[in-house]
Amino acid sequence: MRTLGLAAFFMTTAGALPAQQPAPVAEAQSVLAPLVESYGVSGMEAPVRGTVERLLPQWARAKAETDTAGNLWVRAGKGDPVVVVVAHLDEIGYAVSAIRDDGSLEIVARGGFFPSLFEAEPALIHTGAATPVPGVFMPRDSIGPTPGRTPSGFRVDVGTTSRAAAEALGIKVGSTITMPKQYVRLAGTRATGRSFDDRVGCTALILALRRLDPARLRHEVIFIFSVREEVGLEGAAAAAAALQGRPARVHAIDTFVSADSPIEPQGFAVAPIGRGPVVRALDNSSVTPPALVDSLARLARARNIPLQIGTTNGGNDGSTFAPWGVPDVAMGWPLRYSHSPAEVVDLRDVAHLADVVQAIAERW
Amino acid sequence: MKAPAGFVAVVLLLVSGTTTEPLCAQTVTAGELAVRLAGMTAVTGYEQAMVDTLLTLLPGAVRDRAGNAVLVLGSGPPRRLAACPLDETGFVVGRVRADGWLTLRRSPARAHLLGPLFDQQLEGQRVTVFTARGPLPGVVAVRSVHLTRGRGSLSQEPFTVDDAYVDVGAASGRGAADLGVGVLNPVALAKHPHRYGSDKLAAPWAGRRAACAALLAAARRAVAEPGKDSRSGSTVVAFVVEQQLSARGLLTLATSQGPFAESWIADDSVGARAVQAADSTPKLSAVGTSPRAALGQIHAWQISTAYPGTAVETVSLEQVEHTGAAIASWLRGETGR
Repeated sequence: MRTLGLAAFFMTTAGALPAQQPAPVAEAQSVLAPLVESYGVSGMEAPVRGTVERLLPQWARAKAETDTAGNLWVRAGKGDPVVVVVAHLDEIGYAVSAIRDDGSLEIVARGGFFPSLFEAEPALIHTGAATPVPGVFMPRDSIGPTPGRTPSGFRVDVGTTSRAAAEALGIKVGSTITMPKQYVRLAGTRATGRSFDDRVGCTALILALRRLDPARLRHEVIFIFSVREEVGLEGAAAAAAALQGRPARVHAIDTFVSADSPIEPQGFAVAPIGRGPVVRALDNSSVTPPALVDSLARLARARNIPLQIGTTNGGNDGSTFAPWGVPDVAMGWPLRYSHSPAEVVDLRDVAHLADVVQAIAERW
Repeated sequence: MKAPAGFVAVVLLLVSGTTTEPLCAQTVTAGELAVRLAGMTAVTGYEQAMVDTLLTLLPGAVRDRAGNAVLVLGSGPPRRLAACPLDETGFVVGRVRADGWLTLRRSPARAHLLGPLFDQQLEGQRVTVFTARGPLPGVVAVRSVHLTRGRGSLSQEPFTVDDAYVDVGAASGRGAADLGVGVLNPVALAKHPHRYGSDKLAAPWAGRRAACAALLAAARRAVAEPGKDSRSGSTVVAFVVEQQLSARGLLTLATSQGPFAESWIADDSVGARAVQAADSTPKLSAVGTSPRAALGQIHAWQISTAYPGTAVETVSLEQVEHTGAAIASWLRGETGR
């Protein structure tokens, strides 16, 4: 079908979802869980980058390079056409903007999210030391009889009563702040946690790299784990500037924000979780050429990989290659409750997303 | 400093909501008990698991007809009461939808003392559904921020329980039922007691749990050292249910174990003030004069809290230890307070 437009449109190339074998789900989880439990607010991605490197196959780890922006590159195969696959390392959170005389921390958001989800929740301040400093996101100062849903602002309490005591803990302006997080399995093949966006994308790249034989690739594939996506696609922009027009295609592997819940408007983006990865054919930053969407759908069908096609909101790293005319074939997996502490995925989608990335590297 | 690893360890220890692991009275402090109890859930009317744990932790304690955990120290008159409320305003499954999501009802229904943002703490957070088969993790749905962009401004009305859709990963109502989920299953925020600062403990209902921990530590010490009680008469130590609804646990003690010469309530400052003000509260006095009067003069051991009524209600573990020591001293008859 060719009626993408602004309305949602989905198809499943493999028909009914085949029963997922436990092994791919288990492998996906073994990679995803440690990534989700690593912390890396935009600009402080080093712990996540370290986890990625640890999870790479040996051959890829040996070739991995970190550029001056902080992106991690793994090059596989040789020759044209060069294909770029990019997933981002960073997550939303806060950064310390000031330390008050009473030891409390003023904070500023890094990325877009509902601040009410962080209000009056536990906090971890990441100072660069091995162990973060625990604290709490304070409730708003005043509630009143008719409070609004969104707090006008709040601070972080680390249990100190002076600026000097807070600084003695290693906290400084620029230190990043998150909530504690944990990867938790839900019923069936579903799981919850925070920062599935975009640790699932990183997982798909790692799983694909584990399966690839770089000596058998017919062209060069560059896997990039990018930084600072949540604050303006900054890492990918640096990579795009370095590569310019060389790539034939770029594939941003990032969240397909799904309206698969009873509280979302159902006008578009209704990609059910558990029914396979999704081509982000149209989002807020790019439109994939329809011929490439069709070609990718054929590739997935040939490998019996379920694939949905749809449109959602949000931007993606691949769009930074647009100035050089590089087509952006963005893909994701359906995610419920994006940028919340309670994101939900289906691990079968994660495993199948890795299948698609592998197929792109090997066959497309 | 406390690290995520420690946080996870606490979660693993406490996520079941119940434990039968015995603790040695000499080695477990009130603060340690506070951390342990803060990881547990006791929704008003559904406190059984918490009471089971208390019965295990307090040798000689029994469950009374109201569901309270009760221990009697000494015998005969005069009788004194040392009690702590253990319930929390929480939620139960109100409906299992055909699509697998769960909707909720608050228990008790009114949460006027907790403020207009109490329910909002659920939105987008982890919860635990306590099914007949055990605790089940879930999340409360929240709109994806990306999908709100360019689609008009969001309502600024606070999130309420009627906005809550719980996702346990079930794809249908039957799938949820297969997981053991049913109407009336208690539901609460996932409890991850969080240590910060030099001695701070943050958790939902941390003040009330800490107060119960102080009483529990003192009672365990009294049981372990029976010869040190210099008081005549008897002291009833009780962990009472349904304080948030109708004070049924406390009033049942009054009618079944009273009259008491005096009653001491261990609670967070909000709860303690509420009980002390009960003389003028219709909820208690309307039951009749005898149940309330049977409690005698009411005093309080108060645990101070920061950020009360929130998911990071905070107590000082040092104060918990001091309160436990004060209660122990009172149980031995060394102090009047």
